Amino acid sequence: MKKVIGFLRSMKFGMILLVLVIACSVAGSLIVQQGEAMDYVRRYGADAAQLIMALGLDDVFSAPYFIVLMAALCLNLTLCSIVRLSRTIRAAAALRGQAHRASALEPLEEEQAKKLCAFFEKRHYRCEEKDGDRVYTKNMAGFYGSFLTHLSFLLILIIGAAAVMTADVRDQVVMPGETLTLEDGTMITVERFQIEDETGTLDYASVLTAASADGKRQKQQEIRVNEPLSFNGYKIYQQTYGTAGAVRIANLTNGIEEDMLLTESCFLTLDGRNGMFFQALYPGYVQAEDGSVMLVTSTSGAYEDPVYDVLSVSGGVTTPVLAFPDETLTIGDVSFTLLDPVSYPGLRIKHMHTEILGMLYATFVLIVAALYLCFFMVPVAVKVTESGYAVLSPKTQTGLMIELEALLKEEA
Amino acid sequence: MEILFFASVVAYFAATMFQSVGAMMGKTKLTRAARGIFTAAFAAQTVFTIWRGIVAGRVPLANQFEFASGFAWSAAIIGIVLYAKLRQEWIMTVSMPVAFLVLSYAAFQPMEIKELMPALRSTWFVLHIGSATFSYASFAIAGGLGAYYLMQLKKGHSEDETRMRQTDYMTYRLISLGFLLLTVVILSGAIWAEQAWSRWWSWDPKETWALITWILYAIYLHQRMRMKWQGKRMAWFAVIAVFCVLFTFAGVNKLLPGLHSYAV
Ligand code: HEM
Repeated sequence: MKKVIGFLRSMKFGMILLVLVIACSVAGSLIVQQGEAMDYVRRYGADAAQLIMALGLDDVFSAPYFIVLMAALCLNLTLCSIVRLSRTIRAAAALRGQAHRASALEPLEEEQAKKLCAFFEKRHYRCEEKDGDRVYTKNMAGFYGSFLTHLSFLLILIIGAAAVMTADVRDQVVMPGETLTLEDGTMITVERFQIEDETGTLDYASVLTAASADGKRQKQQEIRVNEPLSFNGYKIYQQTYGTAGAVRIANLTNGIEEDMLLTESCFLTLDGRNGMFFQALYPGYVQAEDGSVMLVTSTSGAYEDPVYDVLSVSGGVTTPVLAFPDETLTIGDVSFTLLDPVSYPGLRIKHMHTEILGMLYATFVLIVAALYLCFFMVPVAVKVTESGYAVLSPKTQTGLMIELEALLKEEA
Repeated sequence: MEILFFASVVAYFAATMFQSVGAMMGKTKLTRAARGIFTAAFAAQTVFTIWRGIVAGRVPLANQFEFASGFAWSAAIIGIVLYAKLRQEWIMTVSMPVAFLVLSYAAFQPMEIKELMPALRSTWFVLHIGSATFSYASFAIAGGLGAYYLMQLKKGHSEDETRMRQTDYMTYRLISLGFLLLTVVILSGAIWAEQAWSRWWSWDPKETWALITWILYAIYLHQRMRMKWQGKRMAWFAVIAVFCVLFTFAGVNKLLPGLHSYAV
């Protein structure tokens, strides 16, 4: 049992796990993830596809073995850190005393010893004198660098997973002018949405107004792909966008008019027989030299010359029509006036616990600070007597040793 | 102004040649000339980069050309600063070819100045890409030092014990710096992705390869610390790991497009 725990907390096991994470990551980046079975057969052939599916390589990062791997890494790091913490504290406390007691000294001339002391003082080492010997120390906080690195890495994994699992995410299309009411009564209104700015540059931006349930707090903000709106613990992203057709329907017998958005194909009719069948909206068209028209089927920008593809259904006769905005089709007693299309945003509404978010950011800062401690604050204690010196550190002090050698050589 | 860019490519090349010949034949005049040319080339590249930033109205790190140019610039400044501190020829012997090779790669990328796409307009962008250029440059020079170490061993120059120790140690220091910066790259990237796409991590190929690189160097650091691996083995490690950095930097964009495909 002791042996098993010893292995589970060993660095050897940790390194094996890290190599396995690398192997999974390489596979997950080279093999298309979350594809359809047929897609794998087409790409890699039937046998390879079967193997990929059997090994879960089509979705490596959600596969049970990957989750187990990450859990094992967390366990290994936790055990290793717990064991090492007390050792680290003891080592940090002991270093100065060890330096005072050090007896294996590199020989020094008296002048060299003075030079050495001046060197350490110039570098702001802390000096402690005992029985005429001096011990210079620096960067004692560096002892905790690797412990804090591991701790923060562990916390990033755990808090990161908690942040993802506790976030409440929903995607919603909201038309300009529409208001969306969220669970706690917070209201989000899309005031405007634009695909291009005034200069014609692509600028997918929505103007949103958010209001608390009681209406006391309000915030208006333009959001775009990088600039979500934060309000009441919600973050509202502009995730996608779309363009819908619009039509004004007028009943010619009673004069009643109504505007409608056309987001999918539909049959607009009063009597169930005659009416307009909306099929699709195209962003534009190109006219060839022979006069024939080719419809543009997709665009990433605004709809430049929108074309409605509709069917006029009247008295059992169906006639295909390509119509432009402002054109009116009169079918029986109803007129259908096609309007300018409306672009709208697809919003992602995410609710996160601010405490978890705060902790996650704190661990980000902690790991960077901890790595700084590891690499740039290496603890060192140097004993200097009139006739010799000794350098003690938990790490090899190549840089310092070479500097000292150069300094002493110069003196000689 | 593009002429300044091409002039710096040529000057980095000339500096590399002078330095290599000078270092090989022990001619200090040549290596001094190499340093002069290198510093001038670096100044020219700096002026070009500032000009490009002003014309584009943003930090010039938005596409593969600008990123590669930033990478080379970072390698040059790391070399210059380390040389100023340590006064060791081998630092220049390694940094000069790194800066030259990376800038040559940049020269083959499309150079036109493009409007920054909305997803890239973020304050995290500067931190993310800026630290990536320095991180990659640190790893690349560390790899170069590893190769230099192995060459010295092969040539039988290992009797200069101080130099060998110093080269080995500097490889480790640069990898430490690169590792710290790569951590910043990954974390700022996660924050940025959350802002732009509402997801911290998507296992997008570029993210995945940055993580692979990060873990690889974490293994390097552990092997060095605990196993007390040093010298030849670590030099080989540093050299091999650079291929992973290069794949993350350029290979992923060409071979595994994903969310980061705008970086092509
Ligand atoms: C990806 C995850 C990990 C990262 C980023 C990481 C990072 C580090 C860093 C930066 C150091 C200091 C190295 C130096 O100063 O040169 C270190 C040391 C160390 N790490 Fe890790 N580590 C990770 C995983 C692990 C694992 C899984 C173990 C297994 C037990 C482990 C055990 C150790 C030990 C024992 C030390 C030496 C500490 C000392 O002597 O003070 N690490 N680690």
